[in-house]
Amino acid sequence: MLLLPEGAKLIGQGITGSEGTRALEWSQAYGTQIVAGVTPGKGGLTHLGVPIFNTVKEALDGIGKVDGSVQFVPPLFTKAAVLEALDARIKWVLIGAEKVPTKDSAIIYAKAKEMGTSVIGPSSVGIICPSRKLKIGTIAGGAPERVFPKGNVAIISKSGGMTSEIGLHLKNNGFGVSWAVGIGGDRIICSDYVDLLMEFENDPETKATVIFGELGGTYEERVAKFVKSGKIKKPVIVFIAGEFTLNLPNDVQFGHAGAIIEGDRGLPDKKREVLRQAGVKVADNLDEIPKLVKQVI
Amino acid sequence: MILYEYEGKKLLKDAGIDVPDAILIDSIAALQNDTLENRLLRFTRNDKVVLKAQVLSGKRADAGGIIRIKNKELRIKEELEKLFSKTINKEKVEKILVEEMVEYEGPEYYLSISYDTDSRGPVLTISSSGGTGIEEKEVKTYSIDPVTITCTIVHHIVPKEIIDKLMNLFFEQDMLLLEINPLVRGKDGKWIALDAKIKLEDNAAGRHKDWNFPPRSAPGHSATKNEIEAKKIDEGDYRGVAGSTYFDLDGDIAILASGGGASLTAMDALQKCGGKPANYTEYGGNPPREKVEKLTRVVLDKPGIHGLWVVGAVANFTDIYETLSGFVEGLRNLRKSGMKIDFPIVIRRGGPRDKEAFEMLKKVKDFDLHIYGEETSIAESAKIMAEEAKKYATST
Repeated sequence: MLLLPEGAKLIGQGITGSEGTRALEWSQAYGTQIVAGVTPGKGGLTHLGVPIFNTVKEALDGIGKVDGSVQFVPPLFTKAAVLEALDARIKWVLIGAEKVPTKDSAIIYAKAKEMGTSVIGPSSVGIICPSRKLKIGTIAGGAPERVFPKGNVAIISKSGGMTSEIGLHLKNNGFGVSWAVGIGGDRIICSDYVDLLMEFENDPETKATVIFGELGGTYEERVAKFVKSGKIKKPVIVFIAGEFTLNLPNDVQFGHAGAIIEGDRGLPDKKREVLRQAGVKVADNLDEIPKLVKQVI
Repeated sequence: MILYEYEGKKLLKDAGIDVPDAILIDSIAALQNDTLENRLLRFTRNDKVVLKAQVLSGKRADAGGIIRIKNKELRIKEELEKLFSKTINKEKVEKILVEEMVEYEGPEYYLSISYDTDSRGPVLTISSSGGTGIEEKEVKTYSIDPVTITCTIVHHIVPKEIIDKLMNLFFEQDMLLLEINPLVRGKDGKWIALDAKIKLEDNAAGRHKDWNFPPRSAPGHSATKNEIEAKKIDEGDYRGVAGSTYFDLDGDIAILASGGGASLTAMDALQKCGGKPANYTEYGGNPPREKVEKLTRVVLDKPGIHGLWVVGAVANFTDIYETLSGFVEGLRNLRKSGMKIDFPIVIRRGGPRDKEAFEMLKKVKDFDLHIYGEETSIAESAKIMAEEAKKYATST
């Protein structure tokens, strides 16, 4: 289950670092419950009112069961931290680190699948749900209401910055969000658009979903497949970036690790085409998104 | 990072995969070495050799980068000189691998290990009809379990022992791609890799002290001075990214974009309204101001600039005041060094500490700044930028 309930309790791995500390303050201010932190060697400390433990197991022994773990662990240590959480039977994990090696992501994905754990990321900017007072990760910084008022549109984005940008466009046109999620732009992401869309199907607050996609990979194409087969019934609006890269050398990564065209895979044009054919609304320009949302809500 | 064939083959050899006997000639100057001729004549008993230009782009054979010689005594040096003078798919030939020509019967196999976004894991791809044009041929793909390093392939003419060695090498070396095309069975029955295309994961460099590969550009592309300078900014400093991806383009609008997704969106928007970018680059992940200062200097270090677009989305955690302060410092340092900066500079940004950033920018009177916040969309600011640059170009 990717959509955590209201009042969900989380631990934060690596929240004593600088980025973790900023995110922790912002989450607390939003009303999200981060009930313990884990930083090896800092057990026994209290950080912004949150007790810190050396291991996940010690944290759970100390505070009882939790709903998930948010990670602010550096990329080369992320795999070990996530596997520690999985071993402790934590069922929901959000990975904030960028630049996690693909091998580690593949191992995390395989293990999480085996154990039935929901994982978002790596490279996730976070997840926010205004109605449930959940704000996990660095999403929307310290001013979430500026871009994410409460509403009925969900946002799923490979890009952290564009999650907020789309939120802003929606807000300027009178829409708010049910959920906004950064799924990360890596090659291997543990939750993709479809994984979230399938849960939004059963989320009463979500009436439509806006997706930010970009060149590379096949996650956008999977959306087309699921919409076409009728498994996703709620309206989906998609914007895909990366047109200009067609004039540049092939096999180059643009910003995100997954934003790469290899052979003829990953072309933005092809993605739009299969999505349109499946009945998904495709915005040619970011500014068009609110208009398309209005057509379906 | 993509490895040259000779670097990839060394990894294969170290992992126990046979590759042809070879000599690497690492510069045209090495051809003058007195002992070279002797070495070339003796490194293999075989009289037939293949000269292979060491470039990163594919389809090297079609571009004349591979020369087969039936009698090496007769013309090897002459052919080497010719090959060194060539440019293959826009890459200058700087190194040549001289290999024995392996005699084999039976099919050329294509074999690769890579990551697949459909299965969200590693996959083995194999085909009995390798060679050039593999993209159009029938291939079979099998999932690999990254935890146990085992593959769903049951039985194949390519021995399990070879597949296992390759899978282990792929994971041990944090590869993104390990491609052998072709893999053949020599007359003596030994399996031998005739080519190797290997891509290593840059993000894993921190745990591979053994990787000593010199920096390089993208395949089919020779790095420009600015591209090399931009790449240096992130070296040894893990706080955020700035300039790791940088490309020079033909236009007249310098680009200083923020964020992977937003930078792509911005570039698409600028092209749509007729603006011509002079480069692509991005910074993000809350980099320190020094990185933005350096990147500002790189993007403006070229002639014919008619505008500068500083563009990004509403940032989540990048400190807008810090990063834009670095940008202004970059402008001032450039001017101090004698650069004329009177072209329009359009800024569109939002995020943490943006109010302080805009207050700071409003006080900057010595540059033609056009400041926009979140109330102006990326597409709208693209239009403004394109128009301002046009105006400037016609007025000068």
